[in-house]
Amino acid sequence: MDRREALQLLMGGAALQFASPSLFASLRTARILLDTQAPPRTLNPQQNATVTALAETILPKTDTVGATEAGASQFVDLILTEWYNENERTIFLNGLADVNARTQSAFGKKFADCSADQRGKILMELGEQLTKDAQAARSSASGYRGSPAKPNKNFYYMMRDLTLTSYYTSEVVSQQPAFQVNPDR
Amino acid sequence: MSVDTSYDAIVVGSGMTGGWAAKELTEKGMKTLVLEAGRSTVPEKDYVEHVPPWEVKFHGMRDRRKLEEDQPIQSLCYACDEWSAKFFVSDKENPYTIESGKPFRWIRGRQVGGRSIMWGRQTYRWSDLDFEANLRDGIAIDWPIRYADIEPWYDYVEEFIGISGEALGLPQLPDSKFLPPMELNPAEVVVKNAIANNFGPERVLTIGRVAILTRPHNGRAACHYCGPCERGCITRSYFSSVNATLPAAQKTGRMTLRPYSVVHSLSFDAHTRRVTGIRVVDAKTRATMEFRAKLIFLCASTLESVRILFNSATPEFSNGLANSSGELGHNLMDHVKGGGAAATIPGNEDKQVVGKRPNGIYIPRFRNVKTKQSGFVRGYGLQGGGGRDGWQRGILQTGFGGDFKNSLTQPGPWHFNFQGYGECLPSHNNYAEIDKEKVDAWGIPTLKIHCAFSENEFALRKDMSVAAAEMLEAAGAKDIEPFTDDDPPGFSVHEMGTARMGRDPKTSVLNAYNQSHDIKNLFITDGGAMVSSSCVNPSLTYMALTARACDYAVKKMKKGEL
Repeated sequence: MDRREALQLLMGGAALQFASPSLFASLRTARILLDTQAPPRTLNPQQNATVTALAETILPKTDTVGATEAGASQFVDLILTEWYNENERTIFLNGLADVNARTQSAFGKKFADCSADQRGKILMELGEQLTKDAQAARSSASGYRGSPAKPNKNFYYMMRDLTLTSYYTSEVVSQQPAFQVNPDR
Repeated sequence: MSVDTSYDAIVVGSGMTGGWAAKELTEKGMKTLVLEAGRSTVPEKDYVEHVPPWEVKFHGMRDRRKLEEDQPIQSLCYACDEWSAKFFVSDKENPYTIESGKPFRWIRGRQVGGRSIMWGRQTYRWSDLDFEANLRDGIAIDWPIRYADIEPWYDYVEEFIGISGEALGLPQLPDSKFLPPMELNPAEVVVKNAIANNFGPERVLTIGRVAILTRPHNGRAACHYCGPCERGCITRSYFSSVNATLPAAQKTGRMTLRPYSVVHSLSFDAHTRRVTGIRVVDAKTRATMEFRAKLIFLCASTLESVRILFNSATPEFSNGLANSSGELGHNLMDHVKGGGAAATIPGNEDKQVVGKRPNGIYIPRFRNVKTKQSGFVRGYGLQGGGGRDGWQRGILQTGFGGDFKNSLTQPGPWHFNFQGYGECLPSHNNYAEIDKEKVDAWGIPTLKIHCAFSENEFALRKDMSVAAAEMLEAAGAKDIEPFTDDDPPGFSVHEMGTARMGRDPKTSVLNAYNQSHDIKNLFITDGGAMVSSSCVNPSLTYMALTARACDYAVKKMKKGEL
């Protein structure tokens, strides 16, 4: 089923009173396809490619699904569109631009076009800053509030938060037999 | 305006205590109307505890913008999440104000079941250490009852609701009628043993005593450890009014439960000295109506019940109905929290728990029990527990790649946290008053709250943190983080004291049976009745006092003394 077929199936609501269980199953598949194939609302194509590449580098496809298949870029777009405030959105989109600026200057290409080694090098850099910012947030925070304060304004923290959340709370991942933790966020 | 006179009794509120009043009054033969301000609750439709995170839009991150718009105060409560936000009020529709510089978090539920749907389920008896506390310390007024007065009612309530826990024989925390206790996990056993070996017999770690069934009880199923009780419970394994007391009242055929019934005020007959009826605004149609009955039970919650009485002022009771003492709305208390510690407990990496135990540990009060502590009076209990880290630990790590991905599908180290709940002293200066200028969505004047913790509560909070860290250290914990957060009053959601009991009508609102000193057919059996706050969770005591008051009221009524 492609996007066009899915749309046609969902538009045909008038016939639903005669629908069979298998049709309902098809409708569900169509809905999921549309959700995952709908164009992003906030991310432009280049930003979307960067998000997808970052997420897939953090949680790559191996013998189990990777971040892309679990819907990371759709989730990031949802949070950018309906959850983040303007300031957070700016930090995040600037963070994406910064990642590409780093790869342009180091390797002369965009992050999404980099090799695995090159991507890894950039993530190591981002990780060093994340560790520093995490320590700063921990020591400057006035309250504990049930858990240590987080480096909420660090782009890489935001990206990891959304990538891991979309992945480990997803049906396809948390229903795997080897999954031994609580999927709830 | 319509007037309905067909009931013997009216209960305002359908939550923790309203459900008990409904059950007791109907079982004693009273035709009872239960008024609930919010919508009805249908377990099959409204309970969402088995909805997985991928079926909610933000995967558990909550609908942030909606919460910021409609529930900025409610969403400060952990339980007001992407599943359960619907069980909390709209702050827009239900405003209140505070004195500048004195934050008070008023967390509320308006639906059939009230907050008994989202409560923490921790269930502890109070003792004479609590009932004699004010007398001993010369603070506020003495309780008009002692443990012996309430003990049979604890038995009675516990036998119906079912409480799991471990008997310890401690004088400061009397044992309940227990169902089998839930199990401690390995990290908790480590901490328990360290406390037993290092701190003497006064400090004990035990499994939380909870109103959750560990075996079938009164037609309700045993808990299946799915975890998030605050989202509902289709097997009725934890106690709520929807799961237990309201069905029992329904079974008598004598209960009429009316949702969407926002109580405006009570009407008072100055000649008979009785409340004659209740004025109600229909939440949906805005129609006003009056219901009349011989007996009135206010179970609307500590602050809502006094709000109704303030809005029922008459020329005689110009400061609020049943307020000849001037204490109505005063002596507002809430347990002080925000003190504790967290740490990693090394070892036991080969052990994992099965299911999500909806309960933690409890350390009963050990300060000012046998030996007097310097720096503060009263004490606190510690709650919390152990558990293995989940996938979330990976967010702040810097790893990536296939091995990293797989590692997070397995549990991490054992973590442990302690969070104290401390006794709050009653003070006339902590109070709620009516703000006639500010009305709610139904045009009813709202409350202005003046409440702040004092030195004794701050000292308790500090000690919680120190004692928690000290116990974790004794347990060989790593990365111990003691904390003291300035959580404002209201945040324990144990508010109480605004219509206190007492022997003297000049200094108290209610007598020893929750009956108004001023108006014989008016009873208040929610948290308003409390004279001091103890340090243990109060719901069980509210329920026991409610059942006891119903017994008293019906006996008096049959003798023609109401």
